[in-house]
Amino acid sequence: MTLRVAIIGYGKMGRIRHEAMERHGGFHVVVACDTAVDPAASCPMVTDPMAVYDYNPDVIVCSVPNKMIPDVVCTALARGKHVFSEKPPGRNSEDVRRMMGAEKAAGDRVLKFGFNHRVHDAIEEAKKLIDAGTMGELYFMRGVYGKAGGPNYAQNWRNDPAQSGGGILIDQGIHMLDLFQMFAGRFRDVQSFVQRNFWTDVPVEDNAFALMKNADGIVASVHSSATQWQHTFRLELYLRNGFVSVDGILSASGSYGTEVLTVALNRLDEGGNPIPNPESQELRFTEDKSWDKEIAEFYAAVAEDEPLRCGTSQQALDVMELVEAIYAADPEWCRIVQDHKVQENQEG
Amino acid sequence: MQTPVFLDHLPDFETVAGEKPEQYRLTRNKALLDLMLDCSTDWTPRQACPACGRDRLKSRNFSQTLLEFLRCTECNTIYAQRVPDQKVLDQLRLEIIEAQVGDDPGKDREFEFTSLMNWVSLTEARLQRRLDKVVDIRFASQAPRWPEATRRLSHGRSWDFLSLTPENTEFDELCARLAHLSPKAILMPAELDRVADPEALMRAIKQSVASGTVIFVASSCADGLEYEILGADSPSFIPLDRLTVFSINGFQALSARVGLSVLEVSTPGRLDAVILDRYFKGTENANIPFWSGFFQEADKNRLRDLQILLQRSLKSGILRFVLEA
Repeated sequence: MTLRVAIIGYGKMGRIRHEAMERHGGFHVVVACDTAVDPAASCPMVTDPMAVYDYNPDVIVCSVPNKMIPDVVCTALARGKHVFSEKPPGRNSEDVRRMMGAEKAAGDRVLKFGFNHRVHDAIEEAKKLIDAGTMGELYFMRGVYGKAGGPNYAQNWRNDPAQSGGGILIDQGIHMLDLFQMFAGRFRDVQSFVQRNFWTDVPVEDNAFALMKNADGIVASVHSSATQWQHTFRLELYLRNGFVSVDGILSASGSYGTEVLTVALNRLDEGGNPIPNPESQELRFTEDKSWDKEIAEFYAAVAEDEPLRCGTSQQALDVMELVEAIYAADPEWCRIVQDHKVQENQEG
Repeated sequence: MQTPVFLDHLPDFETVAGEKPEQYRLTRNKALLDLMLDCSTDWTPRQACPACGRDRLKSRNFSQTLLEFLRCTECNTIYAQRVPDQKVLDQLRLEIIEAQVGDDPGKDREFEFTSLMNWVSLTEARLQRRLDKVVDIRFASQAPRWPEATRRLSHGRSWDFLSLTPENTEFDELCARLAHLSPKAILMPAELDRVADPEALMRAIKQSVASGTVIFVASSCADGLEYEILGADSPSFIPLDRLTVFSINGFQALSARVGLSVLEVSTPGRLDAVILDRYFKGTENANIPFWSGFFQEADKNRLRDLQILLQRSLKSGILRFVLEA
């Protein structure tokens, strides 16, 4: 079964999805939409998002800025299309709820969000190790995910809260939060510090620190940073019988290094106490298969009626609520955001 | 196929160069000499590399001290040009083990035991398959404290221990005992380099277990920097215990020939750097470009970095394979 696809938003992500669908073989991209037509594109292009429906697609791939995601997704679902959308799922939890409403109304249509970190090889391997029970009960997690701003940081739509809903936390840190909830379920008890350190004229955070606890008492801390001059992804999970960590994440830029999974089981002394620095095993992953795995899972859900495991709308809602809780837990940051809104209203 | 790197403390050189290891080396070399002088010993010449099967004529000389050893130019495996009967080899090992009763070095091997148990546990988790019944092949005979360590530290897994007994060429006794036990996994950390015909041993194991049985094997590794630089002068090279020193490629070729799938390869050896350090600091006129200077100036941190590099590059002196029948 070949699915006819329209890609709305044919920038970097839209093209990555296009390539993954071509590698899969079960998709045929019939049209792509962006603000300008690329004469070199390998498929027909339009500039009006509604024009893609003239091509009778089965699937809409939504790779547009956060603000536009709910409209694109809801329209597609209302027209009976299956939807694969980039993360973050809009700008806030209200956007997600709106999309969930459209999903419910669309019956059996599939809605999947691209939280691809769940299906990176090192992360899947870590999940397997923990799910097997060998490592024992999970005590705590630590996550650092950061980069050095980005090109045209101040002008980028990602750093315009009206377009994006927030800064580095909602853009990149959201992946780490999604992983936390994949490993440990929902976190509700949150403390945080949200800051602007380097880009003080840009109205979104460039650093967010949060400490959170779930109902089982598992504690997680995250540092999401746009001033991490040395690009870093590091996730550590400490369990009763040992630890698992993932250093580096394979990305389109390649700047976070290869993925290295380190795992160790404790050695015990005669009294049954762990001896420090146990022998560890290190596994390296050098090929990013996450795009292909996501597309394959989406295809299986649409064409073979398989249930979605990753990127469900419920997972999207859960993680967006956690992002909001982190922003809300820092009263000083709330005041800054409020002042900004007042100032914008006065100017506008 | 996965290639994990095992990271651990760098051990002291005394682990391999203390008084006891030296006594052991002398005992084994004396046993080999006696064997060679005994006119009744049957020797089987090897016409081809026991790993990749390439004609012996394509191998280079590795050592002519006591017994002649060759190095395969195709796969890099080191092997004795002729081997004694399996039963004789087993009998000699049993004699040494009996002589060592009451002198159990097992207490010093707790880290090694834990490493083996954790290897099984983590592989089990990665394979998402219960390996709750494991058969140890002959390791318990060499390491008498090993069974007790498994009882104390390996939870949720039953262990059976096939002791070292004199076997015939086809390992019929071992086959019968293995078939009776029907294990989910087999652990064999110290046999491949010591037996007369490693291919016969691997075939015997494969035909005695169910399809899907996971086999954990460890052995000395010819690709290790220690063997590359020191050759037969390496303190790990005890001829009677190293009748076949497999390379990674060589053991992969043998596994394919026997019909075993390779799930994981690693070289977790921890001693190459300290052995070479000791050699270059203790040997006058040891003048090998680059390496002499490297080790003369090496401190413990540099040795550790080198050892990790060797492990990451599959170039340390011990190999581990996880295979599937």
